[in-house]
Amino acid sequence: MSEQVLFQKSFQIKGNDFASAGEASVQIKNILKEVGFDSSVIRRVAVASYEAEMNVVMYGGGGKVTLRVNPEDVILIVEDKGPGIPDVTKAMQEGYSTATDEMREMGFGAGMGLPNIKRNSDELKIDTAAGKGTRLEIHIKRAVNNG
Amino acid sequence: MDKPVKKLHSLTIDEDKCVGCVLCMKACPTKAIRVRTGKAVILSERCVDCGECYRVCPHEAVVPQTTSFSDLKRFKYTVALPSPVLYTQFGWEVMPNQVLLALRKIGFDYVVDLAWVCEKVNAAYEIFLKEDKGPRPRISTVCPAVVRLVSFLYPELAENMMPIDVPREVLARNLRKKLAQEKGFKEEEIGIIHITSCSAKMVSINNPIGLSKSSLDGAIAISDIYADLLEVIEDMDEDIILQQSSGVGLGWGKSGGEVNGINLDNCLAVSGVSDVIQILDDVEAGKLKDIQYLECLVCPDGCIGGPQVVENRHIAKKRSENLVKMFGERSRVSRKVIRRLYQENYFFLEKGMERHPLPPLDPDPVKALKKRQRIEELIPQLGGKECGACGAPDCKTLARDIVRGEARLEDCVFVTQNK
Repeated sequence: MSEQVLFQKSFQIKGNDFASAGEASVQIKNILKEVGFDSSVIRRVAVASYEAEMNVVMYGGGGKVTLRVNPEDVILIVEDKGPGIPDVTKAMQEGYSTATDEMREMGFGAGMGLPNIKRNSDELKIDTAAGKGTRLEIHIKRAVNNG
Repeated sequence: MDKPVKKLHSLTIDEDKCVGCVLCMKACPTKAIRVRTGKAVILSERCVDCGECYRVCPHEAVVPQTTSFSDLKRFKYTVALPSPVLYTQFGWEVMPNQVLLALRKIGFDYVVDLAWVCEKVNAAYEIFLKEDKGPRPRISTVCPAVVRLVSFLYPELAENMMPIDVPREVLARNLRKKLAQEKGFKEEEIGIIHITSCSAKMVSINNPIGLSKSSLDGAIAISDIYADLLEVIEDMDEDIILQQSSGVGLGWGKSGGEVNGINLDNCLAVSGVSDVIQILDDVEAGKLKDIQYLECLVCPDGCIGGPQVVENRHIAKKRSENLVKMFGERSRVSRKVIRRLYQENYFFLEKGMERHPLPPLDPDPVKALKKRQRIEELIPQLGGKECGACGAPDCKTLARDIVRGEARLEDCVFVTQNK
């Protein structure tokens, strides 16, 4: 399947760097604002990319997020070389979390990461293997709105 | 999208004084300034009237548009609504009531303690937040620069904005009718003037968002009226009591004032333009849903750090804290009265928050995306020194201007140097 890619940019995410965590999502959101996407689409992308970015920071040990836009949708590809998700079904349940006490103290670990990504996307592909890392492909349909 | 507005501004560049340096352009948080043909130019659609350019200009070339005292001659009856910030400007011994009386002494026919209305609005906030099922956090509309920031740059947060109007407008629109009846003037013969530390108030009066028309007739800068007040302030006898507010209303003007008057957990106060932008990014990422109310003021420490004050803001802050302590943190407004006014729609904004997003790179989304990709390709070609010599605040903004056809690659001194 070769889709026409209109825009693509990757952002590095540092593992365990809570101070700059979330910056990639802000940049992604700002790009979509500049091109004039519908605010509801931007909001969904912003929430999904933030959750995904935080997962890479907290669990993935760093990685990258790629924003790719084709005529139909916005795609976020989030990759890390972390430990992988041992039980995807469990991780998709709201409230399920493997966050450490430290993360919880910082207000994370509500177990809403993947469920939130799922809720804000039209399609979510999870590719994960123990010891090898995780790759998420998040598709969000770009509502046609020229107004 | 709402209908496009003509974005008028309270800040203008005096071309005779502007030397075309990069200071204002660099300080602008929304990248709304360019230096073109040796002079600073404000890009109307990006300017949120925060006043950062005014603060940094060493040549007094950024001029805030405010009302002058002599403009008031066109009214038969003048009313002053001073920001609580005014109470912090005259030394440790001067009390709010003295300041209010001094305003009468210098020529206002009628003076109202706006802090009192702040206190009423605070009570209305509380009722609203307890009943409201809308998005969280609710964001304050008190700062005109924040209202513009959201409307232009964070339009998706428009639905988070408080639908309750700001105290100065709530008071002005109700007072005009009342005074016209009581004093026998026509409504247009009454001039209602806000006394303020803020350079953005004029724009919220001339070009309001959320209202079809402001009820205020002007705004006078505290720094412009200071000397007149100082001359008379010591001699005010205290027989007439104009101050009605407690510490709850008096605390407005300092960051945290609004939040302090809301008896709810999880209300947050943020001040300073870069901190405000950061917190709005967080809200947009869905991070702050557990926050009920978010007070955002673009000036450091709130309105007491406004560009048009006289007193050092740290001293003003301490005075504000002293006043809050002295007059107590127990609201004096009757909850019963507020509840009734609330139900009569006394406090609400006439229309919802309007969105005025920045124009996209191109009206055609496909072309816009391609242009955005072109920006990524251009950035590495520019010097990366962020010098501003091209007339844009940084390399990325120059790249954006180039794809929009508003600048050329050759404007970059590093590009021409390497040719």
